[in-house]
Amino acid sequence: MNNIRIALREVIPNRLRTTYRNQWPNLTQSRFYPRATSFPDYFQNPIFRKEDQAKLIENNELTKLAAVPVKPPAAYETSSVYHDALVDKVINHVMKMGNKQLARSLVEKAFENIKRKQIERYHLASTPEDKAKILLNPKDVLHRAVENCKPLLQLLPIKRGGITYQVPGPITEKRSLFLAVKWLLDASNDKERTVHFPEQFAWELLDAANNTGKVVKRKQDLHRLCEANRAYAHYRWQ
Amino acid sequence: MLLPLKLKKTVSGKGDKLKEAACMQELAVMFACFKKSEFDQQQCLKEVSSFQNCYKDYYQRAKVQREQGKKGVLVPGEKNLTHRQVNMLLKSFPPK
Repeated sequence: MNNIRIALREVIPNRLRTTYRNQWPNLTQSRFYPRATSFPDYFQNPIFRKEDQAKLIENNELTKLAAVPVKPPAAYETSSVYHDALVDKVINHVMKMGNKQLARSLVEKAFENIKRKQIERYHLASTPEDKAKILLNPKDVLHRAVENCKPLLQLLPIKRGGITYQVPGPITEKRSLFLAVKWLLDASNDKERTVHFPEQFAWELLDAANNTGKVVKRKQDLHRLCEANRAYAHYRWQ
Repeated sequence: MLLPLKLKKTVSGKGDKLKEAACMQELAVMFACFKKSEFDQQQCLKEVSSFQNCYKDYYQRAKVQREQGKKGVLVPGEKNLTHRQVNMLLKSFPPK
């Protein structure tokens, strides 16, 4: 009797799996089926921005996408005017243990702090020229801060003759964005226990947008190190 | 006993990597500008953008070459063949 039970247990899931495989390989997004929820790699990423869709239509690439399966967009991937890819990225970097609600509230609180500080500065400024210089939109501040923090070079350890040299070289766009956001968060988390994260993050963003502060200094230090090691730059190509 | 020398029927892909030292000139110019302006990027916008464009171009070229090489597609009239293309030719016209 026991043997039959074991045999049944082995047979039924296998049969289920084969039927699933016949329809959609690996596509088993059901809460009753605890398997991989990832889509197979021929599924394309959704294009959810109106601008991007218009670009596709302009280039006549829409017909290519019409025939292939496309992943559904995530909840945050909207065509709303408030959507900002960089803000999403930063929220995901702030997030710990998948607690996105908290991460979003922290970033929004930081934006609120920036807005308050900038409005205060705006009203304190006396001349219209000074007022025009102040960035009032926190998202603009974030964009400028990240732009100012992006490193241009990176140091790669390359082993030559038993010695590991730190070789400077160009950096990809993606990695420099990652480093900029990571450095901003590192600097924000390096604070007194009594200071809350949104407050410190707001200060770091404002400093970086102004091209000053810890993070911009860190970027310049990396550039200095690259400059000091420039003699090894040709090792990259050997 | 020494066997008679004989060439292989394939070539290895070792020498096929892009080995040119790309963007060294631009890098040197950028470092010179950085040194002059105390590593303030705002004063070296021209040098920085030329370096970045150079790297972007190089990356694109390397990518195209990698993809071409992977496919091993034979382009008629092509002088510089990748190792996969050469192997393809050697396979279709095997040496004696």
